Amino acid sequence: MSSDKPPYLGFGLGLRPQHYQEILDASPAIDWFEIISENYMIEGGQPLHMLDRICERYPVVMHGVSLSIASTAPLDLDYLGALKTLADRVKPKWISDHLCWTGVHGVNLHDLLPIPYTEEALDHVVARVGQVQDFLDRRLTLENVSSYITFGQSEMTEWEFVSEVAKRADCWLLFDVNNVYVSAFNHGFSTDEFLHGVPRDRVVQFHVAGHSHEESHIIDTHDHPVCDEVWDFYRDTVGHFGPVSTMIERDDNIPPLAELVDELDHARAIARAVLGEKRLEAAE
Amino acid sequence: MKSLRELQDTFQRGILAGDDAILAEVKDSAKEERKVLFGVYRNAYVARLAEIVGDDYEQLHAYLGDRVFARLVKAYIAANPSDRRSARWFGRHLPAFVRKSETYAKHREIAEIAELEKALADAFDGPDAEPLRIEALAAVAPEAWPSLVFVPHPTASRLTFSTNAADIWSALKSETAPPKPLHLPEPQAILVWRQEFMSRFRPLSPEEAMMWDEAAKGVRFGVLCEMVATFAGEDEAELRAASYLKGWVDMETLAGCQTA
Repeated sequence: MSSDKPPYLGFGLGLRPQHYQEILDASPAIDWFEIISENYMIEGGQPLHMLDRICERYPVVMHGVSLSIASTAPLDLDYLGALKTLADRVKPKWISDHLCWTGVHGVNLHDLLPIPYTEEALDHVVARVGQVQDFLDRRLTLENVSSYITFGQSEMTEWEFVSEVAKRADCWLLFDVNNVYVSAFNHGFSTDEFLHGVPRDRVVQFHVAGHSHEESHIIDTHDHPVCDEVWDFYRDTVGHFGPVSTMIERDDNIPPLAELVDELDHARAIARAVLGEKRLEAAE
Repeated sequence: MKSLRELQDTFQRGILAGDDAILAEVKDSAKEERKVLFGVYRNAYVARLAEIVGDDYEQLHAYLGDRVFARLVKAYIAANPSDRRSARWFGRHLPAFVRKSETYAKHREIAEIAELEKALADAFDGPDAEPLRIEALAAVAPEAWPSLVFVPHPTASRLTFSTNAADIWSALKSETAPPKPLHLPEPQAILVWRQEFMSRFRPLSPEEAMMWDEAAKGVRFGVLCEMVATFAGEDEAELRAASYLKGWVDMETLAGCQTA
């Protein structure tokens, strides 16, 4: 299994069907794309055709939403097989999913559900990551999720849990800036504590996204532009970790591509301002 | 302390069955009660799946209107927990659900509109295959024609409607007022397939439907011509059969031919 750290890719966007043609016609200045793996676990037609064309021109990363790594249900080997088949086609720079579970008893709740931060859950997740990495023959990248509840039985903080998973399972981390912001607000912890609690050498990707504020809590909806508070935290995040492949996530109310490219330029400008042009270029 | 397995089981029942036992396992935040916070997961489950079904069945939604469609989808979600990793497949049982529903089954066009939308979605991302081209057929030696068999495109599927659901769907798709639902005197045969990257459908005459169904079973062209002759008269039967075949090739509904 390759243990090489994934390369720095620069500033990317989520690939969405609304933008296929524009991307192929105009080759916009986007450094790389992230695909939702499940959307391409299909037999044929336009989505796979467009994906093939885009893979010819841009580096692509696969991001799954239903690996369900923390579920106590058995690993779904059919799903893993389909993931591997897609990876053979896409040749992604890395494969990521979420540090969460999505259902048990053969049911998929199509949500990124929270884990109690216990030794039992840690052992369970670490063992499963090992199995998945063996199956895929590559390191997995795991993302911290937004959460709305905390479990009474948790024995450690989220960042301690995330860090232990990364170290013990020897996997990479996708640091979702918005999710840290959302969970910090919902659970009353400091974003800085999370930021400084995660091993720097494990983080290979950032997600930045918008959310919905409900006064007493924030919901991670990915249907708004990134807000100023999240940009501020992104500034701190870049300062702490240095150059890390950054991607803007938008899953709903998808705007014209130019609007997302503008948001991406904003991320690039922040990284430039924080790190300096030379350090950013040296990472490429 | 509950094991991880028990906790996930309780959590899932909290979402699917509205069971509040999970609330004993989670905490209030400084700003909000646990019931409201857990409610985010409950609400998201229904909202997300409803959005997925809405995207899959756009014209059915337009036909039924927001209120009735929301009621149908809510009942569907309650009866069909998702069992696939990809949400792409969540709505696949909706036509069957409608057919069995006491409320909706008597309006037969509802299930048929759903069936058409599902078939179009299935064709959209179904398997790829190079379509049979007219040049390939032109190269077949005349003596080989009677023993030719045809391979339908893998995205092709056949539906049979008892109502004018296809006309209703077409009107809704073009954002015009749909016709009143009608029970047709004779069932209507529909062929669904993908041409280039677009899902398409077309009503077939009874004779063309018969020939398509037999061709799809691997019946040889010579026999298909005899069947067409039996179906609607020997007069120009071969010409009729050849004309159907040319239409199929032009519309890329076939993926190949070979001699049996």
